[in-house]
Amino acid sequence: MSLDTRPLLLQQRLPETTHIRRRPAPRVNPNYPRRMRLADTLQVLCIVSVALAVALFLSSGGAARFGTLADTLTSIGIVTGLVGTDLLLVMLLLAARLPAIDRAFGHDSAMALHQSLGKPALYLLFAHAVFLIIGYALSSGVNVFAETWSMLTGMPDMLLAFIALGLLVVVVVTSLVIVRHRLPYEVWHIVHLLSYVAVLAALPHMLTAGTVLVAGSPQWYYWLALYVGVAGSVVVYRVVLPIVRSLRSRLVVAGVDREAPGVVSIRLSGRKLHHLQASAGQFFIWRFWTPGQWWQAHPFSLSAAPAHNSLRVTVRALGDGSTDLASVPVGTRVSFEGPYGLFTDRARTSPRIVLVAAGIGVAPIRALLETATFAPGQATVLLRSHSVADSYLVEEIAELCRLRGAEFRIITGTRAPGAHSWLPGDAVNARISLNTLVPLLSESDVYICGPRRWTDEVVRDARSAGLPTQQIHFERFDW
Amino acid sequence: MRKRAAAAAATASLSVLAIGWLVGTPAIASLQDTLGGTATDATVSAAASAPVASTPAAAATATATAAPAATATPTPTVTPAAAGITGTFTGSVVATRFGNMQVSVTLADGTITDVTALQLTDKDSRSVQISNRAAPVLKAEVLKAQSAAVANVSGATYTTQGYLTSLQAALDAAGF
Repeated sequence: MSLDTRPLLLQQRLPETTHIRRRPAPRVNPNYPRRMRLADTLQVLCIVSVALAVALFLSSGGAARFGTLADTLTSIGIVTGLVGTDLLLVMLLLAARLPAIDRAFGHDSAMALHQSLGKPALYLLFAHAVFLIIGYALSSGVNVFAETWSMLTGMPDMLLAFIALGLLVVVVVTSLVIVRHRLPYEVWHIVHLLSYVAVLAALPHMLTAGTVLVAGSPQWYYWLALYVGVAGSVVVYRVVLPIVRSLRSRLVVAGVDREAPGVVSIRLSGRKLHHLQASAGQFFIWRFWTPGQWWQAHPFSLSAAPAHNSLRVTVRALGDGSTDLASVPVGTRVSFEGPYGLFTDRARTSPRIVLVAAGIGVAPIRALLETATFAPGQATVLLRSHSVADSYLVEEIAELCRLRGAEFRIITGTRAPGAHSWLPGDAVNARISLNTLVPLLSESDVYICGPRRWTDEVVRDARSAGLPTQQIHFERFDW
Repeated sequence: MRKRAAAAAATASLSVLAIGWLVGTPAIASLQDTLGGTATDATVSAAASAPVASTPAAAATATATAAPAATATPTPTVTPAAAGITGTFTGSVVATRFGNMQVSVTLADGTITDVTALQLTDKDSRSVQISNRAAPVLKAEVLKAQSAAVANVSGATYTTQGYLTSLQAALDAAGF
């Protein structure tokens, strides 16, 4: 192990994107209370939307429809359908890159919630189908197969509804961790887009086959408004905005710099990039328009603070496509979605800052170091790798630390097999932790970026040091 | 989620549920009143959205004995003369897959002069639509044929069956 604090005095020039800003003394971030109010509001809205779904059923006189077994099953079926659909719409909103959601929770938290709602929503919609089939079958005195058949053939839009449910099953199954890791990202993504088809295909039967959403009633208007609102958000923020921004920015590859074997920095130039209001620490989803690359989208963090006419990403050969990026020609058109993420200075709550990175996770850390608010002596950068040679952008970071007065440590060495720690084995034996590495940890915001399990370990270490949640910031990039 | 947000969410959700329930309750009550009271308009029960089977009138006649509903309709004054049967007779409640069906028939001098739908299939908005379309057709057919032996209205099989079954029970009760 080496806890290598290197006061490097490198003469190497930083890329032109770098603008060192000396900030005044830190203050308590006024963004935090505002952000939490926004987060509270969104969470309340989400829960109330579920209550509204149940209220729709009650307002149509549903409370009286529990008299017989058939009625009870039918009523449960209606409620599960309404709630399941509501959750599905919430999921679409969470994935719609709404600026408010990104500002309040960050992209990865929103997607984590999106992911965790998938199975409950599917179970509810399954229950919806099963309970209604049994409920209808009981009331008409036939078996469930005959009932299913008569629904499919005798009730309008029911075939579409069954197809929608089938599509949702496919979408959720391909998103299970086991299955998803075996599929190429693009296949998974295309299958995932079917959920939009499913949500639309399910709409007609809600309007024609239920007593809750009678045409022209307030309930009907509310439900349609919900659908229109979600569809509008998806179209605007996932389709229109990225296209408009990409066209306006006219990004092209300005140069590719080799940082280490398998690691390159791609410099992009464009115009009026300040309109994007991107911050250091954020990521974009990039698309490089070469014949072999255009169909792949890559989520890469900025590795330098964004400038008016240039951006930079630093990438390692992780997925299939990243390998070819080393040879992407200068002048290639680049389109993008973003910027996304809350891994920025905006999320700060404390005067001091600790930046912890492993592997290619160094990219957003490098960008943050450039513009984060801190006075000299109030920042610590920890780079974790197997050996010094495995660390990327080291010279740049050392130079920035020198200019801005941050402490810089490279922590090398392999983890003890089976040990639950983000530190090398001998560091663990020496009882070294985040708390011993960083002065005044309790007054610091800790930013962590690295592989998923490593990140989890750092987060665990920070929590066990007593750091509250709002002072721990992390972004997962291996997805 | 912070405590304050959780409390706000709980309060707002409970309010929303309470409002939904309050909106729903009069709908049930008024529907029961409508069905229990004089059902003179064929579209009354079809326009209401919630199926209610336990109204006084329906309960009284649900035994399929097709006794005239005392509260709802004038007591039939059966005149024994050759003039024939006169009065309004309520048919049995016929349960179908899309909701309950019940009709009453008015006879004057041994002639069917009117058929009133007290309940029509209302399980979903689609079946309300179907019933609303089929009921006038069936009424016209019955008045023309002067019996319950009329053709099925296509696309409204359940409504036709329920309608005619209830009608036949009413006619049987009247001794027509």
